[in-house]
Amino acid sequence: MPFDATDDLPDEALLARFADGDAAAARVLTLRLAPRVMAHAWRLLGNRAEAEDVTQDAMLRLWKQAPDWRDGEAKVTTWLYRVVANLCIDRQRRARGGTVTLDAIPEPADGRASMTEAMQERARADALQAALNDLPARQRQAVVLRHIDGLSNPEIAAIMEITVEAVESLTSRGKRALSAALAGRKEELGYADET
Amino acid sequence: MPTRPDDHDHAALEAFFDAARRTTPVASEDMLARVLADAETVRTAAQARRTRPVRPARLRDLLGGWPSMAGLAAATLAGLWIGAGLPEAVPGLNEAAYLVDITPEMAFGLAGGDD
Repeated sequence: MPFDATDDLPDEALLARFADGDAAAARVLTLRLAPRVMAHAWRLLGNRAEAEDVTQDAMLRLWKQAPDWRDGEAKVTTWLYRVVANLCIDRQRRARGGTVTLDAIPEPADGRASMTEAMQERARADALQAALNDLPARQRQAVVLRHIDGLSNPEIAAIMEITVEAVESLTSRGKRALSAALAGRKEELGYADET
Repeated sequence: MPTRPDDHDHAALEAFFDAARRTTPVASEDMLARVLADAETVRTAAQARRTRPVRPARLRDLLGGWPSMAGLAAATLAGLWIGAGLPEAVPGLNEAAYLVDITPEMAFGLAGGDD
């Protein structure tokens, strides 16, 4: 079926179809890529509204780039991750004080015993995001790409245009900082240190 | 096997990463609609450029560009000049100079004429 076949095409092939005037290719690419881009931007910025703006901007650049996209070079996702990171850095530079307004992250609720699993999970995710917001931008980017987006070190190296060793150094330093930031909160978040 | 403090910390951190992966923010319908609208704008603009009628500049290109056009213009002007002949008002020129051999006895043929 032509419709199913379009869904299965790799990003690069869909982009070429879009450049040839195929509107359906744009729909598949949007549904496939925009949520992922938005989630990543949100992790880097800590602000949902800003993340959505960055996503729209990044995808617009992709649509405009389509006619000039050269096969065999970077993957579409590699290119997008790179564009998103640059757009996020620009936003942070332009923001007052160099920091985008962070979404309010709720304080963990009192009464750990009454916290449901879902609430506990939400609280942990919020605590992690608060700690991520405090990391230097490049450490945050490397840690998010590795441990939340699940990319390999070589893929991250291509996105960040650094060596694999440099990626490992950034993630290692980033995780040490996160561990230190979250150390005092493990008990309240329902994660006790094992002795 | 004793674990290094780093290993323990990183394992502890994994629970937080797991929680983050399971609570990924969802893209809003509104944002997706805006992204699609942008795609449509870019797509239709590109389509309009592809179907634009041939403009004079394009016609010039089809004829071989400015050098050809210049040559065509020069040839046209030369043809007009030759056809009109030299004007009688040109000073110092006698119309008869174009009609009579200067030294008939020295006339020579262009192709195998008598010497």
